[in-house]
Amino acid sequence: MNAPHPWMSLLSLAGRECLRVTRLWTQTMLAPVVSSVLFIVVFGLSLGGRISGIGEIPYDVFIVPGLAAMAMAQAAYSNNSSSIFQARSDRYIHDVLSAPMRPWQMNLGLSLGGAYRALVIGIAVLAIAIPLTDAPVERPFALALAALLLVVLFGALGTVIGIYAETFDHHTFVNNIVILPLTFVGGVFYSIEVLPSPWEEISHANPIFYIVNSVRYGVLGTSDVSVGLSFGVTAAIALAVVAWSQYLFATGRRLKA
Amino acid sequence: MELHGTALSIRRLEKRYDDGTRALESLDLEVPAGTFFGLLGPNGAGKTTLISAVCNLIRVTGGEISVFGHDVASLQARRMIGVAEQDPNLDRFLTVREALVYHGGYFGLGRRRALERAEEMIDVFDLGAKADVRAPKLSGGQRRRLLLARALLHEPRLVILDEPTAGVDIELRRELWRYIRRLHEEGTTILLTTHYLEEAETLCEDVALIARGEIVARSAPEELKRRFGVDSLEAVYMETVAR
Ligand SMILES: Nc1ncnc2c1ncn2[C@@H]1O[C@H](COP(=O)(O)OP(=O)(O)OP(=O)(O)O)[C@@H](O)[C@H]1O
Ligand SMILES: [Mg+2]
Repeated sequence: MNAPHPWMSLLSLAGRECLRVTRLWTQTMLAPVVSSVLFIVVFGLSLGGRISGIGEIPYDVFIVPGLAAMAMAQAAYSNNSSSIFQARSDRYIHDVLSAPMRPWQMNLGLSLGGAYRALVIGIAVLAIAIPLTDAPVERPFALALAALLLVVLFGALGTVIGIYAETFDHHTFVNNIVILPLTFVGGVFYSIEVLPSPWEEISHANPIFYIVNSVRYGVLGTSDVSVGLSFGVTAAIALAVVAWSQYLFATGRRLKA
Repeated sequence: MELHGTALSIRRLEKRYDDGTRALESLDLEVPAGTFFGLLGPNGAGKTTLISAVCNLIRVTGGEISVFGHDVASLQARRMIGVAEQDPNLDRFLTVREALVYHGGYFGLGRRRALERAEEMIDVFDLGAKADVRAPKLSGGQRRRLLLARALLHEPRLVILDEPTAGVDIELRRELWRYIRRLHEEGTTILLTTHYLEEAETLCEDVALIARGEIVARSAPEELKRRFGVDSLEAVYMETVAR
């Protein structure tokens, strides 16, 4: 028998997920980048002139981090949920479940496609938006950390939903009914300070508000709430969702009959 | 390769599905290393459930399984098993060659070795013309070929074939058995389920008959025929497990 290469299983699984993303790149990467850039052009550059900036910041610059965060969250979520749902419904996941891999390796390997896709999209959106709007990147390390937490959180959420979904519609349902609305009211297009009471307070209960804030802090160096709180809440939610996905892999619930 | 010892040891295995179906009831089974073993029984008897338990595809509700002395949950055990399931479960995004190479990777083969083995398996199962075609574009029999090629790619010591010849043409059937016999001669343990009893009679050194989740008879085909005073395995089957 051949001596096993300890990292090979994980690398192969992650490689397969990234290959899937790359092979479908027009749908997986090009489309979300184009739509984010359209938002920036339409809302920021054309309407932006009529909307006064948020504080000192011009409107077109203000919306860039939120839009990048939204595109990344959607990509990480929908990639993992659809890939895992597909693997379950074609039962191709049996090839992974029967392989010599630990549950965490299966979880991580299957999730890395979403992370890769989200990071490519995030970088592309910023690379186009920065010359277009003159948005700065004030705190690159904070931005990288925020992007990482966001990708982990939404990637794991996609994994969880992909494991629970019984039909393909379930994964779109969660996206349309939970993620999109919360993102829209999470301060992508406005600073929640402009909201009248009680809407401003209610916005503080929206987890996505903290995530958008973390990314915005990385880009603009400013934040609606304390930076520690933003990163803390984002990290706590990411940890909880990762624990949930790991529980599903470790016990085999819903993955195995 | 060691030929003594036990390839598969199952003790008091029990599986109750979430909907309450009791598919296996305290089942015991030992498959000696190096045996060509047949698991026979009617539809719904629990053959696929037993195989799924050995391959980490279901959550068993009781009992123990070990593979060449290793607990079934261990990575060593996983590495030693190759399974071709009853229903093809292929990755729709990958071509035939990629499916084989990635499978090799999941099972810990280095890239070069995986590529080498993929070419060998493409050759054995005559998939050369379809090597760069993706699974959804294969015919039923070609999918079966790929499934078998994938099961054998990482050179497992315990090969599990769940109805490998259902819907398969005579040529593939002959090639498959020629190749599997050779693996068996080299020491590989084979666990086969099939509804073609003549096939089992000529191939298997040892068979177990299973009905309603329990093993009801277990011996060499010759011994079973003698015990039941009949002249074919089919007659034994009719005596023991047929409803
Ligand atoms: N996922 C499942 N959920 C509930 N019951 C199941 C499930 N899979 C199988 N069963 C039930 O378990 C029993 C054994 O099924 P199994 O597939 O193991 O039979 P089998 O011996 O492989 O039959 P066949 O020869 O038809 O392939 C059957 O009663 C079947 O209905
Ligand atoms: Mg079956």
